[in-house]
Amino acid sequence: MSETLLETRGVWQRFGGLVANSDVSISVGRGEIVGLIGPNGAGKSTLFNLIAGVLPPTQGSIIFDGHDVTKEPATARCARGIGRTFQVVKSFESMTVIDNVIVGALIRTTVMREARRKAHEVLEFCGLGARADVLANQLIPSEKRRLEVARALATEPKLLLLDEVLTGLTHTEAEKGVELVRRVRDTGVTVLMVEHVMEIVMPLVDRAIVLDLGKVLTEGKPADVVRDPKVITAYLGDRHAVSA
Amino acid sequence: MNDAHTKRRRRDLIVAAVLALLAACAPLVVKDVYIQNIMVLTLMYAALSQAWNILGGYCGQISLGHALYFGLGAYTTALLFTKFGVLPWFGMLGGGVLSALIALGLGYPTFRLRGHYFVIATIVIAEIALLLFLNWDWAGAALGIDIPVRGDSWAKFQFTRSKLPYFYFALAFCCVAFLITWWLEDSKWGYWWRAVKDNPDAAESLGVVVFNSKMGAAAVSAFLTAIGGAFYAQFVSYIDPDSVMTFQFSLLMALPAVLGGIGTLWGPVLGAAILIPLTELTRSYIGGSGRGVDLILYGTVIVVIALARPEGLIGLFSRKPAPKGVPQ
Repeated sequence: MSETLLETRGVWQRFGGLVANSDVSISVGRGEIVGLIGPNGAGKSTLFNLIAGVLPPTQGSIIFDGHDVTKEPATARCARGIGRTFQVVKSFESMTVIDNVIVGALIRTTVMREARRKAHEVLEFCGLGARADVLANQLIPSEKRRLEVARALATEPKLLLLDEVLTGLTHTEAEKGVELVRRVRDTGVTVLMVEHVMEIVMPLVDRAIVLDLGKVLTEGKPADVVRDPKVITAYLGDRHAVSA
Repeated sequence: MNDAHTKRRRRDLIVAAVLALLAACAPLVVKDVYIQNIMVLTLMYAALSQAWNILGGYCGQISLGHALYFGLGAYTTALLFTKFGVLPWFGMLGGGVLSALIALGLGYPTFRLRGHYFVIATIVIAEIALLLFLNWDWAGAALGIDIPVRGDSWAKFQFTRSKLPYFYFALAFCCVAFLITWWLEDSKWGYWWRAVKDNPDAAESLGVVVFNSKMGAAAVSAFLTAIGGAFYAQFVSYIDPDSVMTFQFSLLMALPAVLGGIGTLWGPVLGAAILIPLTELTRSYIGGSGRGVDLILYGTVIVVIALARPEGLIGLFSRKPAPKGVPQ
């Protein structure tokens, strides 16, 4: 890839005696869609939270857009251009859909009219235009996922972190989600997505990074990664690796 | 949809203007001093509850210690006037600024607490302040301060012959609190506060500085509350810790908002319009033997509201049915 947007350098995260990430160094280039995959407990969510700035890494550094953001809190990283969604959706339940998105838009402008216009634009983009004036708690789960994406997009991110936005959706919903992610990328936003449903992510991503037991197991083109014996072992155990 | 939003906000202003105008004309009809007294208190609590609502309703930081700011406003005004001859208007402003500063000072440690712990902290801090004032001799200790009568004038904000000047001030105070809230509601702060209330983690991920949002809400809320306290000191012309700083005041500021609709623009006004006259009337009609009946009344009101209309009475006015949370 032409230029690196995000880089983690030797990142470690320990929770007491548990090592969630050990020496993780990954990089994401501008304009890429990168999938972060791995079995349960591989440390995907932890790495994700480290990048989003929810907690500082125990060791190592995180470089975003040429700046060392390791010590910056989530709010500052948002201002720099890291947008995220949550695996367990965190809508502002008592607010309308449009107001949810306005909160995101307000980091780029304090003019309410402008924030509202931007929010409408993003909602249309995400296919939620018709639901703008509904309270967020009345949305169905797939719409809530879209709202998460819309809210993050309203902050005008350079890098969008998607935490299992496609998991638990019906096949049709997931396909619409895939299409949305592609359109997001086409607007120039880099996407890093955590997903463990391989069959959905693989056709979508340009590159996959596989984590296992807190370490980078392998990375590469999706087609190569799924055939990698190490990956199959990580997901399915030794017996299957042999037959592959 | 842009239009619908603007229209709704304009409608809020127009309805408020009409109501304020009607209220301003009320003394032409209502000559009974007792009823006028109730009207003054109702307006005052509507404004105070509006102030409480900024922190407790919009920002979701439930304070049951706002009596502290109310008392500070009252004491600053009364002390400056009796000890140094400073006009109450300056005392009012000084009390407001002092309260805002103290709110920031207290917010610094307490806003790290979440949920119930924050509420408990607010109660405890207000109780500590109450005890300090009960024992502070220079400030009159438990005996309190009698504000000397120096003749009726707006400059000294003293009126012994008529309640009407107080009524108009209370009305203006109520309007100002309403307008401030109206303005904040559709500002960056208003959105940040509601985001902080609903989900602080998500708010942070969207660039909302949660801590600063809470501090801002606390400062505005405390400032306005102290203005109310200063007004009250002038209105009753005698204050002691038990009459301006007790827990009951904290409740009386929170309840109208809760009753009317917490975190809504009209909630505090609606709640105060119902609760305060009801309280005053039960207090006088049931008389001395009924001490505490008004408290039983609050309790009942809260229980009924919590069960039947958790979003407050304002929900009766919305066109759509009350939304139920969909568990994920």
